[in-house]
Amino acid sequence: MFESIQQWFLGGYQQFFNTMIEGNRYLMLLEGLGVTVKVALGAAVIGILMGCVIALMALSKLRIARSFASLYVTVIRGTPVVVQLLIMYYIIMLSYTGPKEVVAIVTFGLNSAAYVSEMVRGGILAIDKGQTEAGRSLGLSGASTMLLIVLPQTVKVILPSLFNEFIMLLKETSVVGFIGLMDLAKAGDYIRSRTYSAFVPLLSVAAVYLVIVIGLTQIFGRVERRLRQGDSR
Amino acid sequence: MIHVNGLTKDFGQLQVLRGIDEHIKKGERVVVIGPSGSGKSTFLRCLNLLERPTSGQILFNLELPGGGFQELDITARGVQIDKVRQKMGMVFQHFNLFPHKTVLENITLAPVHLKLMSKAAATDKAMGLLERVGLVDKANAYPAQLSGGQKQRIAIVRSLAMDPEVMLFDEPTSALDPEMVGEVLDVMKQLAIDGMTMVVVTHEMGFAREVGDRVLFMDEGLVVEQGTPEQIFGNPQNQRTQDFLGKLL
Ligand SMILES: Nc1ncnc2c1ncn2[C@@H]1O[C@H](COP(=O)(O)OP(=O)(O)OP(=O)(O)O)[C@@H](O)[C@H]1O
Ligand SMILES: [Mg+2]
Repeated sequence: MFESIQQWFLGGYQQFFNTMIEGNRYLMLLEGLGVTVKVALGAAVIGILMGCVIALMALSKLRIARSFASLYVTVIRGTPVVVQLLIMYYIIMLSYTGPKEVVAIVTFGLNSAAYVSEMVRGGILAIDKGQTEAGRSLGLSGASTMLLIVLPQTVKVILPSLFNEFIMLLKETSVVGFIGLMDLAKAGDYIRSRTYSAFVPLLSVAAVYLVIVIGLTQIFGRVERRLRQGDSR
Repeated sequence: MIHVNGLTKDFGQLQVLRGIDEHIKKGERVVVIGPSGSGKSTFLRCLNLLERPTSGQILFNLELPGGGFQELDITARGVQIDKVRQKMGMVFQHFNLFPHKTVLENITLAPVHLKLMSKAAATDKAMGLLERVGLVDKANAYPAQLSGGQKQRIAIVRSLAMDPEVMLFDEPTSALDPEMVGEVLDVMKQLAIDGMTMVVVTHEMGFAREVGDRVLFMDEGLVVEQGTPEQIFGNPQNQRTQDFLGKLL
């Protein structure tokens, strides 16, 4: 009994060594993780900025702006992100020759913007319209009122959903291998194909994603709690 | 100071204001009373264009930076309404303080952002105003930490920090617990003594009697009767005024 457990562990270590340590293959995972983080962070920045713009268009008095926003959200939400990525790579940015990360960042940024815009729109609508009236009645312009009074309050309301969106985004970037980027997921798959052994590389990849998501959840939870305390200051 | 000519306002099918002609003079304290839904708030909100009138004119004497006045129809196209609103303070039933800003920031936000004052000057001015309403110790508090009466006094100070020429009050004490009504009315009375031009929608008949130069009774979108507080409360002519005041007693 003891011996068989020992055998199992030894076998496991042997596999781990063969797949990950030999040839320093674990470094590929680390590099892949770098790509994943870069793409996710870049996309998050674009997503938030563009998301706010789209949300303001959706709430605008201008009909064309509203129609554009609505069309944008419909198209992005109605098509798979992998397809969007391929379209961006093979059609829209065909003549682009720089780093592929940029293609991924743009695609995931524009994709995330659609979801973020819906959150921001809902958040803005949730702010009492007396806030806007107070700002305007002090002589602030509509834009200043939005920027100084409404949006800061909106951020606080939608922060939990924004955090959630970032976690989704981080995981969704695992399809960037489709355009030949070596992210965390792709690196694991590559090691699998080189070593003819799926177990260790793929579970390692899953474990890394899981650890990151758990870590982020912890941090975000703490930030939210801090903000909520601010309310009753 | 404010001339209102033939003001009407429709919300879709509903005619809320049906032709109002008024002249509010500089330094005058006008109190607006009337039953719920008669259009009092809408009238007040038209004065600073929070509601856009359906028809009619609102002429406002805007003081020019170099001295002198310019009479402006604020309903006209192309009017810089933000400039006009800087000179018209408004106090709301539900205070509408900015919850993410401290009391001091609430007061200095607009004058500083609009570059009317340096931050230091605005802070000085805010502290002086807070002193007058007895809330200096709350300068760094957040609105959530204040009582209703304190919030409304801050809201008044926030408007005063803009040096308005007229203050509009829409039921400033209706959302308050009874024991806090007095502290807010006291601030308003002091403002009146200081000579501020005020238009006040209120159900506080004691205040109307004591402070008002003129009382407007509104019903169904019209000013049905107006006069001095003595005339309106002592000897109302119109049947509807009599009914309304009778119900209050
Ligand atoms: N934005 C709006 N859209 C549609 N109808 C409105 C709007 N604002 C006000 N009304 C309607 O206009 C009428 C007058 O409203 P207003 O708020 O001016 O009355 P009020 O005299 O201030 O009443 P109260 O004493 O209850 O505050 C009411 O019937 C109200 O329902
Ligand atoms: Mg009202």
